[in-house]
Amino acid sequence: MLHDTLLSTLILTPGAVGLVVLLLLPRQADSAARWLGLLASLATLALAALAWSRFDPANPGFQLVEQRPWLPQVGISYSLGMDGIALVLVLLTALLQPLVFISSWISISQHVKGFIASMLLLETGVLGAFLATDLFLFYVFWELMLIPMYFIIGVWGGERRIYAAVKFVLFTLAGSLLMLVGILYLAYLHHAQFGVWSFAYGDMLRLNIPMGAGFWGSPQLLLFAAFALAFAIKVPVWPLHTWLPDAHVEAPTGGSIILAGILLKLGTFGLMRYNRPLFPEAWEAATPLFMVLAVVAIIYGALVAWAQKDIKKLVAYSSVSHMGFIILGLFAGTVASTQGALIQMINHGLSTGALFMLVGVIYDRRHTRLIEDFGGLAKVMPLYTFAFLLATLSSIGLPGLNGFVGEFLILTGAFAEHPLAVALAATGIVLGAIYMLSLVQRVFWNALVHEENRNLTDLTWREALAFAPLALFMVWIGVQPGTFLRLSEAAVRHLIGG
Amino acid sequence: MITITHYLVLSLVLFTLGVVGMVIRRNFITLLMCVELIINAATINFIAFSRQAGDVTGQVFAVFLITIAAAEAAIGLGIIVALVRLKQTVQLDQANVMRG
Amino acid sequence: MNMDLRADLLALLPELTLTAGALVVLLAGVGGGGRRHGGLAVTALASVGLTAIALKIAVDVSEAGRLFFSGMFVLDPFAVFFKVLFLLTAALAPLLSRDYLERHDYRPGEYHSLVLFATVGMMVMASGTNLASIYVGLELMALSTYVLAGYFRREVKSHEAASKYFVLGALSSGVLVYGLSLLFGELGSLDLAAMAAALGGAERTPTLLTGMALLACGFLFKVAAVPFHMWTPDVYEGAPTPITAFLSVGPKAAAFAIFLRVFLGGLEGLTPYWVWLVGGSAALTMIWGNLAALTQDNVKRMLAYSSIAHAGYALLGLLAGSELGVQSVLFYMLVYLVSNLGAFGFVILLESRGYAGETVADYAGLARRQPLAAFGMLVFLLSLGGIPPTAGFMGKLYVFAAAVNAGFVWLVVVAVVMSAVSLYYYLRIAMQMYLREGQEGEGAEVLAAPWTARAIGVCGVFVGIIGVYPAPFAAAARTTAALIGVTLP
Repeated sequence: MLHDTLLSTLILTPGAVGLVVLLLLPRQADSAARWLGLLASLATLALAALAWSRFDPANPGFQLVEQRPWLPQVGISYSLGMDGIALVLVLLTALLQPLVFISSWISISQHVKGFIASMLLLETGVLGAFLATDLFLFYVFWELMLIPMYFIIGVWGGERRIYAAVKFVLFTLAGSLLMLVGILYLAYLHHAQFGVWSFAYGDMLRLNIPMGAGFWGSPQLLLFAAFALAFAIKVPVWPLHTWLPDAHVEAPTGGSIILAGILLKLGTFGLMRYNRPLFPEAWEAATPLFMVLAVVAIIYGALVAWAQKDIKKLVAYSSVSHMGFIILGLFAGTVASTQGALIQMINHGLSTGALFMLVGVIYDRRHTRLIEDFGGLAKVMPLYTFAFLLATLSSIGLPGLNGFVGEFLILTGAFAEHPLAVALAATGIVLGAIYMLSLVQRVFWNALVHEENRNLTDLTWREALAFAPLALFMVWIGVQPGTFLRLSEAAVRHLIGG
Repeated sequence: MITITHYLVLSLVLFTLGVVGMVIRRNFITLLMCVELIINAATINFIAFSRQAGDVTGQVFAVFLITIAAAEAAIGLGIIVALVRLKQTVQLDQANVMRG
Repeated sequence: MNMDLRADLLALLPELTLTAGALVVLLAGVGGGGRRHGGLAVTALASVGLTAIALKIAVDVSEAGRLFFSGMFVLDPFAVFFKVLFLLTAALAPLLSRDYLERHDYRPGEYHSLVLFATVGMMVMASGTNLASIYVGLELMALSTYVLAGYFRREVKSHEAASKYFVLGALSSGVLVYGLSLLFGELGSLDLAAMAAALGGAERTPTLLTGMALLACGFLFKVAAVPFHMWTPDVYEGAPTPITAFLSVGPKAAAFAIFLRVFLGGLEGLTPYWVWLVGGSAALTMIWGNLAALTQDNVKRMLAYSSIAHAGYALLGLLAGSELGVQSVLFYMLVYLVSNLGAFGFVILLESRGYAGETVADYAGLARRQPLAAFGMLVFLLSLGGIPPTAGFMGKLYVFAAAVNAGFVWLVVVAVVMSAVSLYYYLRIAMQMYLREGQEGEGAEVLAAPWTARAIGVCGVFVGIIGVYPAPFAAAARTTAALIGVTLP
């Protein structure tokens, strides 16, 4: 019974609980809201694990498929399906969500109900976007994410939160609406070529989209651009990244974790799921451009991160750099580099999520995030120092931890075809090591000059509990990447081959 | 010999006078008269065309138009009376409180 | 002949019923009973209900596809769809107005009866197959709404709204009727079918095209499309808020009904000429409506510009012209109706002291004081902005799909970019409600207005259902569009 509706249950559980929290709980029921949110996200995690257990990694196609007519006359259906690529991202999402609730348990004290509800609705949007196999349904879920995130940044954010929230919405919306035009145009093409309306992903793959001549005369290039722009803004690809530091710095810790850990992945996921298979020739044509943009992002992000005085901003810019690696891996287009990009999406979710969480920890204690306000924390907060160091090492790709696996696969996979890009990207790794380690040096090892820092409490059990699963996966993926690579290999081979 | 063209020119002149008057004048009563000019221009057209084609529908519609014009004038005068009571003026621009 | 008259009157039964209802309300409102707000509103509501029953009877009894009153009047599904929309509006109007009228102490008798008369006019418009009957319906609607806009005669703003509405409305209807006279001269008839037939062989003379253009201008004025929109912000701001709500949906939908019927029915042969006129106006409408809304601080004015912009989106469906296009306009009108009435419902609820609750800043911190009201307003705003999973998104989807299908990709690009812009000003209100702290006792408060709250509830249910499961509503619009009674490609 549950087999038929497992994905729907997975997607709708958080959103339904979110609505209950928002509309039915009495006004002051903060603690009940927290518990409900945590339980809902744990239930979602359990459902995701159940989906994992029923997933057959050898099958490259969509599994646990659900299909119901929704708007039959225009060919829109409610159809869901999970392939290996979606599975790993769903697992990441389901894993991070409860950790967000645990880490925000104390720090979000205002309008708790709204926060929990927004987060849960956001999770529904994210899971739906990963699992939808109808372009229209995908778009609905994609847009569904926008409003909760607007409120998460705008209500619980820092001083310039309203500016950041509006900027986030306008950037995202501008891109996604052009994608809607693209989706409608695809459905129209299907109507023209097959005589019926359809938005189904499988049907779109059968379309013959003409390349035409020039950019403006080429439907395929224009469609590619419409989709790629929406996704590139989300990733964000340099030079569309300017919303990201604002949004990150102003968002509350939980918002930053979700933003960096999951929402950015939707951009790369979209490129992988839609742009590559739907517009293969345009993808070929755009590869040099995206290679350049990826390399620029890697180096630019690293250099700007190095110059930051604010720890959170530094981590935000490091995201720009890391997402550049993922773009590089995707567009290099080999199985190894694409697998690397996928695992790197997970890694970035884990390590950057962990870093944002840990930055939140000291911000809660000191209400500052400036590097110069710290120093010598290693003696005061040994457990915290260990956690931060682990996340840093994971982020810069130390062998034995997860980051290494992703970067290694991307660079080896891309080397044969794009040696120059790989060489330049490798300098990005070196820069990454420099700025991250210098951050660690300045925050943890230098002399303890600020008296306020002498009495900081170490990680509490709650904070440690939120961090522990991340640490576990960092080591697990680092030591035994095969477990996870195996899940998506068939799907990725199918993607590259098809 | 008066041809259909004569009627059309007359109605065009009336129509133009009415439209221009509506645009440049601000006295409510003048505006009301301009509205009547426009509707009468249309009425003349209807009657002339109807006569030319030997068909009565245009003339029937002309009667409708006269009735509607009367109703419109009644409503317009009602609004003017209310304006005078409230503002002691029939100049529209002296009653302007909202930004345009 | 007798049988014919009987059939004619049966087809007209809904309009007759509503006219009788309007007269009853008018008479009951005279004299000492004139202050019985609840009773009069219920009477108005009951006559709308009776009209709905009469409509059902008329549809059941009348022969399908038959023309009544010598080809002046038709009761096809297209007309019925719009009549249902108008009756929905007319049923929500007394609910929205009842508490408001009592609070501001104006007599409800004439008020409700004028709303009903305007509705009769709109119903005639939807059924008209001859420009004469369409014009008479249009004037009945217009004359009633002029008075309604100025109904709060002790308010300077309301009065100003009425004067401007009257002057510009009379100008537009004069221009329209002058256009009609030219078309009549060239085509020899005002009957849509006869006009379409005559167009087949008629030369495209300047007179004919001028007549067509003047008619289009008149219609664009009625739907409040740029550049004939100048009356809208002032009238919407100045008119009593429930009337603004009524004006923004009822007459606009009626104007779209005749726009579709006349330009896709009678004047379809001139499509190559009017498509540029209407297309250009649609683009300007979407751009200017949304850009101007950005700078408004008055919520009613902002919603006025937003309603201008929405007319632009709906015009895309008219341009698309196909069955899908007509369907999309019908569906869009339904969606827009419930979203906009809901949003105005909250403006009415929040208007506590005089005209407070009208500026955006009055909404500051509302989410803290009235979480449910703020959430409801948010839903309607998102629906107007077209965010899934609300009704507004589905409406836009159909219109955009129809326009893409008809090859108007550039207009759809304009429309989606402008939708993005529109979200900015809708979210401005959301931002005030959720992100700002209101000062104590400064902002708007929700008043105890159970009737208004009920109307909002109805709209909210529609917005939610259509947003998640639009299929039956879209199907209703589709069967209607297929039977519009005009030649479709």
